[in-house]
Amino acid sequence: MSDRTSAAAPPPSAGPREPAARTRHGVWRRFARHRPAAAGLAALALITLAVIALPPLIGYDPEAVSLADKNLPPSAEHLMGTDELGRDLFARVLDGGRLTLSVAAAAVGFSMVVGVAVGAVAGYFGGVVDNLLMRLVDIGYSLPALFVVILLVTLVGAGFWPIVLAVAMFSWMNTARLVRAGYLSLKEQDFVEATRGIGAGHLRIAVRHLLPGTVGPTVVTATLGIATAILTESALSFLGLGFQPPQATWGGLLYEAQRPVIAMGHWWRGLFPGAMIFAVVLAANYVGDGLNDAFEPRRSRR
Amino acid sequence: MTSYRIRRCLQAVPLLLGISVIVFALLQMTPGGPMAAGEGAQSQASAEQIARLRGRYGLDDPLWMQYLKWLGGILTGDWGASFNTGRPVVEVITERLPTTLLLTGLSFGLSVLLALVVGVTAAVRHRTLFDYVSTGLAFAGLAMPSFWFGLMLLFVFSYSLDWLPSSGLADLRFRHEGFAAFLDRAEHLVLPVAVLSLVSVASLTRYVRSSMLDVLGQDYIRTARGNGLPERTVVLGHGLRNASIPVVTVAVLAIPELFLGAVITETIFGLPGMGRLFVESAELRDYPVLLGILLIASVLVVSANLLADILYGRLDPRISYE
Repeated sequence: MSDRTSAAAPPPSAGPREPAARTRHGVWRRFARHRPAAAGLAALALITLAVIALPPLIGYDPEAVSLADKNLPPSAEHLMGTDELGRDLFARVLDGGRLTLSVAAAAVGFSMVVGVAVGAVAGYFGGVVDNLLMRLVDIGYSLPALFVVILLVTLVGAGFWPIVLAVAMFSWMNTARLVRAGYLSLKEQDFVEATRGIGAGHLRIAVRHLLPGTVGPTVVTATLGIATAILTESALSFLGLGFQPPQATWGGLLYEAQRPVIAMGHWWRGLFPGAMIFAVVLAANYVGDGLNDAFEPRRSRR
Repeated sequence: MTSYRIRRCLQAVPLLLGISVIVFALLQMTPGGPMAAGEGAQSQASAEQIARLRGRYGLDDPLWMQYLKWLGGILTGDWGASFNTGRPVVEVITERLPTTLLLTGLSFGLSVLLALVVGVTAAVRHRTLFDYVSTGLAFAGLAMPSFWFGLMLLFVFSYSLDWLPSSGLADLRFRHEGFAAFLDRAEHLVLPVAVLSLVSVASLTRYVRSSMLDVLGQDYIRTARGNGLPERTVVLGHGLRNASIPVVTVAVLAIPELFLGAVITETIFGLPGMGRLFVESAELRDYPVLLGILLIASVLVVSANLLADILYGRLDPRISYE
């Protein structure tokens, strides 16, 4: 993947460039040089902007029924066509996108908080606490995420927060492991000893001095977490077990599209919502890849 | 080595116990609790009958005792009865298992085969068009939602071209015999297997390629070439043999992934497997069946992790656990 970028990159100049590598400027420069990642970031920003700003501008209510306009293929009037109730699919895709992206953002936010907290406590204190928390991580990895999410949503009901929490419950483990590893290696360094020497407490050391050192892996897992969260929520809605109609989500639109696409050939019903999921997940994966290379230049891939 | 294996197996025990506690906690959360009577039956029962039933099922025992009894039941094959049909959960699940196993098995075989061919070729032809295209496709495959892929395949091959059937395991309008029955079954499985394999082909291909690239850059490969061995022997005999060590572990871990992915595939194509059973049971709020499948899936994940670890140590003599 990064072959294309390394070909375009200037040859590495001799001399002491390395100290700059860890600065914010260095990370940003290396990220921008990773072209698919930069394009991915632009795509994510564009889609987010579209689902927020466009709905009032296109002039269609996502839930307004108009039987005279049902099952229309895409046209200048209806960019993505209409469904069997004459609802404008473009309006529904934008509306659903807002919900799908909100769920993903909230779930990733939650899992970051939990993951960082668990990882920091485990890595900082070590010993029994570490051992117990890591067994918890093991259990989290061993539970089949989609199955438990379905079960929890069935039990609690398919609202915004239940879905967010169910998705978040299975995405904090990566963060916890990486943050823990960061704390384990950082806490042995001299500057921590020095800070303790001038009287800093546990909390101050853990938050002010060690946490910044784990920003890199946390940001990478958050980005990849967005992709996973979108896929999980969409799968849930596609199975008909997530948000209920008339509320649209990208997965929910695909659920409604099954019969029209397979039995009646209304391809537009399936193509557009799925393409949005694909685009966002692909973009998030590229951004995550680029960030990974940017934060860990020595470990960059072939 | 043997002691490591025993130790590693013992580590799985607390993990499984932790999972069983979580499943038991979920069971306590279900409406009606663990009482395997439907809600309709409860409404007709008098307070006295309910009390007697509670006594018989041990619902007045302390929670830890209920847990131990429940765990004992699980271990001896008593998984409760389905809310929906009243039949034993084990029976309901086992009759759906063959379809899922067939689907998972075929997809696993296809994934490994494709990943080996494409991954090795991409590594050997590093930085050629083939490498770029296959790597790009693999990356795209990882981002592709399988339900969308399935829907679009159905539109092309079932609706537009009318080459393949859109759902089920067999032609319901006509009973085929012998070879025709086999062909009919194959026709029904092409699309589901393609959809289920998508993600594992993509991720395995990436692993095979990067593992092969690592190995092909080693000194002993140059030595083998220098000694005049034919390229085929170098790549397959010396290269792939060594590159396959990490690949085997990842391949083993793909098995539970495929098993879980079957939920979506079976739903799209209306196949009567365990994944479809899970979704149906969720719609019907049939908690005993849901928890039973959850338990099977968790045990599968834990076993696959265990197997991957042990195989890794066995295949790579450089690793020592003493």
